[in-house]
Amino acid sequence: MKFPSLPSTPKTPGAKRRGTRTIAAVGAAAVVSALALTGCGSGAGSSSGGSSKEITVWHYFSDPNQVKVMTDYADTFQKNNPGTKVNNVYVPYDQLDSKLIASAGAKSGPDVVVYNGADASNLALANTLAPLDDKWGTFADKSQFPESVVHKVNGKTYGVQGYVNLLGLWYNKDILTSLGVQPPKTLSELEDAMGKAVAAGKQGMTLSGLPQSQGEWQAFPWLSSAGFSYGSPDAGALEKGLGMAQDWVKKGYVSKEAVTWDQTVPFQKFAAGNVAFAENGNWQMGTAKSTAKFSYGVVPLPVGSGKVYLGGEAEGIGAFSKNPDLAWKYLQQTYFDKAGQLTAMKDAGSIPSRKDSAADPAVTGNDLLKPFADSIAKNGATYPDDAVPAKNVANVQLAVGQAWSAALGGQSSPSDAAQALNSKLSSLLQK
Amino acid sequence: METAVTSVQTRTAAGGRVASPARRPRRRGQGRLLYVLPAAVFLAVLSFYPLVQLVRMSVSNVTASTLNASWDFVGTANFTAGLVQGDLGKAFWNTAVFVIVVTVIGLVGGLAAAIVLRHSGRISGLLLGVMVFVWALPPVVNGSVWKFLLGDNGLINGIVHATGLAGAPIPFLYDEHFALMSVALVNSWAIIPFNALVFRAAVLGIPAETFEAAQIDGAGPWQEIRHVLLPAVRPTSLVLAVLTIVYAFRSFDFIYVMTYGGPGTSTNTLPFLGYLQAFVRFDYGLGSATAVLTVLMVLVLAVVYARSVRKEEAE
Amino acid sequence: MMRKIRKTGPGPVTWALRAVLFLLYGVPILWIVLTSLKEPGDVLSSQASLIFRPTLSAYTDAISNGGLLDAGIQSFVIAAGTTILTLLVAIPAAYGLAKVGGRITTVALGLLIVLQMTPQTATVIPLFQIFGSWGLLDQRIGVIIADTALLVPFAILLLRPFFRAVPDALEEAGAIDGARNWKIFTSIVLPVARNGVATTGTLVFLLSWGEFLYAINFLLSPGSYPLSALLAQQVSAFGINWPGLMALAVITSIPILILFVFTYRLLKEGLTLGAVK
Repeated sequence: MKFPSLPSTPKTPGAKRRGTRTIAAVGAAAVVSALALTGCGSGAGSSSGGSSKEITVWHYFSDPNQVKVMTDYADTFQKNNPGTKVNNVYVPYDQLDSKLIASAGAKSGPDVVVYNGADASNLALANTLAPLDDKWGTFADKSQFPESVVHKVNGKTYGVQGYVNLLGLWYNKDILTSLGVQPPKTLSELEDAMGKAVAAGKQGMTLSGLPQSQGEWQAFPWLSSAGFSYGSPDAGALEKGLGMAQDWVKKGYVSKEAVTWDQTVPFQKFAAGNVAFAENGNWQMGTAKSTAKFSYGVVPLPVGSGKVYLGGEAEGIGAFSKNPDLAWKYLQQTYFDKAGQLTAMKDAGSIPSRKDSAADPAVTGNDLLKPFADSIAKNGATYPDDAVPAKNVANVQLAVGQAWSAALGGQSSPSDAAQALNSKLSSLLQK
Repeated sequence: METAVTSVQTRTAAGGRVASPARRPRRRGQGRLLYVLPAAVFLAVLSFYPLVQLVRMSVSNVTASTLNASWDFVGTANFTAGLVQGDLGKAFWNTAVFVIVVTVIGLVGGLAAAIVLRHSGRISGLLLGVMVFVWALPPVVNGSVWKFLLGDNGLINGIVHATGLAGAPIPFLYDEHFALMSVALVNSWAIIPFNALVFRAAVLGIPAETFEAAQIDGAGPWQEIRHVLLPAVRPTSLVLAVLTIVYAFRSFDFIYVMTYGGPGTSTNTLPFLGYLQAFVRFDYGLGSATAVLTVLMVLVLAVVYARSVRKEEAE
Repeated sequence: MMRKIRKTGPGPVTWALRAVLFLLYGVPILWIVLTSLKEPGDVLSSQASLIFRPTLSAYTDAISNGGLLDAGIQSFVIAAGTTILTLLVAIPAAYGLAKVGGRITTVALGLLIVLQMTPQTATVIPLFQIFGSWGLLDQRIGVIIADTALLVPFAILLLRPFFRAVPDALEEAGAIDGARNWKIFTSIVLPVARNGVATTGTLVFLLSWGEFLYAINFLLSPGSYPLSALLAQQVSAFGINWPGLMALAVITSIPILILFVFTYRLLKEGLTLGAVK
């Protein structure tokens, strides 16, 4: 803000000028004393505090089950390595990426970052993550991890997922029994069951139609079941997929309200008990257990040869970590460890990414986890899709999410939405 | 020293008055510019610099990978890209509708609330308390509550259903035409308490004698409002209009909570579009360009305001 | 007074409008309180919208979370610090701009509006860099300064009409008495304009109490977030704890209500008008 300089020749006699100067001085002194009054230190110690035995982990979990995973990991690590301290720092999901990027600009940041795997490219390009290749390359258990959970950007590894999250088809067993239908294995069985549910005064299915990445994540299985793929995008397949969803809304299977819901609300609606199906993830096990007052089950999404994304959080090391070796040790003993992955499975229903952990009876014997594990084998797809250039991942997700929302909300016809989206994609998908 | 200075000053003040009465207020006035100095310095460093960075970003290619490196100058490429992508035009019209609704309802509602709550008393106090309570709640809470109330199973659709006003639930938040209006109305609702509080402070500043004089002249409550109250709150309403318009122009959190710009893109306003571009798509240059466009629109408003302030002062 | 002045008591229109306001603002609050008393499973269930078994577990959970008190103190220090600093900077500036006419003021006011328009999200990264180089990251004072920078333009614009409303005659009378500029300002102008100052101060306090973008970005240590950031924590990509969110909203608003009761007394008309006379 600019203010013209004050007249240099004093028009007022000295005394008056002194008066105004005093004001400025008093003002400045008051500001300074106010600052002193409010105290300069913050309540807690500094995160980047010099101790070489301390690591800071940034994450965006606030669900009690997921928070428990974090505290269990911290306890395990501190017990295995006496004298160390793990600081788990919560950063809201929306703020994690920008806070990481802002800190990187100030050459600071956490030691370990637990971030959305889909954001790996942006975070790596913004120089917030350290390449893991040296450490990952010599990791003895490396072969236990499938390629799809290792996040590489421009040939360098920036994160590995300790578990996988994916969508399945949750069903209300009580409703299906009263309707006399079996959990669907195909799309037509699903539509048939939803029709019967609606006829019986229940709702068909809840899903998310939010115009952003969550919408895209939920849309992709259905769009791909209609033949759509990012490798060879085709307006016809898009139109078919979007048309199917709009049709569900028209027939009352799916509420138009879905366009305002993220993935949380649809599951809470399902858990309230009046809905036959929910397209939702394995991470909802805790919510299902604590809130659903009916018996429920899961089957793989009946998308035929369609694809289901394998999402989840990737774990990496901050680019400005002062303790990258200790951070790596932490990851090895928690997220990337066989027992560690089973801890996350027990606490939060995460599906282990290691082959040996996934083959553990604790997983294979779990009725709710097994359909998800089956789905991984049959329909699992890398998230985000390899055909999407790293720099355009977010653009593509937003564009598809908006088209999905527009189709569900009836804002545009399936063919218009498909045409518009396809022309956007053709430029976004160019490498 | 202190006594000497004081005496000099006393002499000057008195002397100045005698010597040239016309010059004195002006000198005093210029001296008072020093009062502005702390704010000027403070804002120059902490507010003006970010604004400059915003403008710089809007003419540069800034993405997540270049944010912390050097920025390549690209001229108006970000502005044209925004237009070519076709989001800008629609967002512009959405913003216009949104700003008009929020400003008109926010100001009229705020003034009406201030007038009906101008008398001190338990009822006024309670109501103002309730309103301030709401105003102070974060948008995520207010937005979520309205999402509940406006949902298909929400209270309002429940009443509509029970009274038989409509057969099907009203699609407040997921119909492309209703959604923008719903979000704008909730935003107006959220700003009314603020406007009411400030209007009320202005109303309370009117000397009791003015009201008494009006009453002696036989003015009824309506005339009192028209001839005493409204003229008295004019300067305040000017400022409030500016603050409300600015609020409407930058408001995106209710949209974020209630519709996320949806269904499709039907509630994308300029600030929300800028948010999507900068923080979802990580194209900071594009997002800054949208923000700069919004600032430019408000600049027009700022000029109008500044002019009317000068006019007011000339009177 | 010879004739008893009619006290302009509320008429029927006033009462009707009050009822409308009461519904418009009371119902959402009622909903917040009702939701805070529900089991998570009842929140979105249509059957349980009004009739449900209330539980205080959201409140006990929030209170048993040991961080609540620390966060409350943090919020209070940030809000109080911001209010003091903002008023210290904005009051003189508003007074100066109210009493100095001409092009300078016009330009300054225009600039203030433009500054007010800068999206807060766009200021986070530049401020992060400034605070990083000044060593103010992870310090309350950094958040206080950032909040102040956010609110000063707002406060100046809001305060200015209140200072303009102070009659010049009052100040001139002071000048004749031989009072110095600063004394005129503190002993004559400020008391007359205190309605505006109190209102602005209250609003600044409330705004900084609820501000969380800066708090979340500039505070880096665990456990140093204020209440507003704890509220944001109830909403995540994996779930929204509705009762927890609403219970925390109620808890964090109690100090606001206390503050309001306090300033409402300040704003009683008798007190105010006495000052002008």
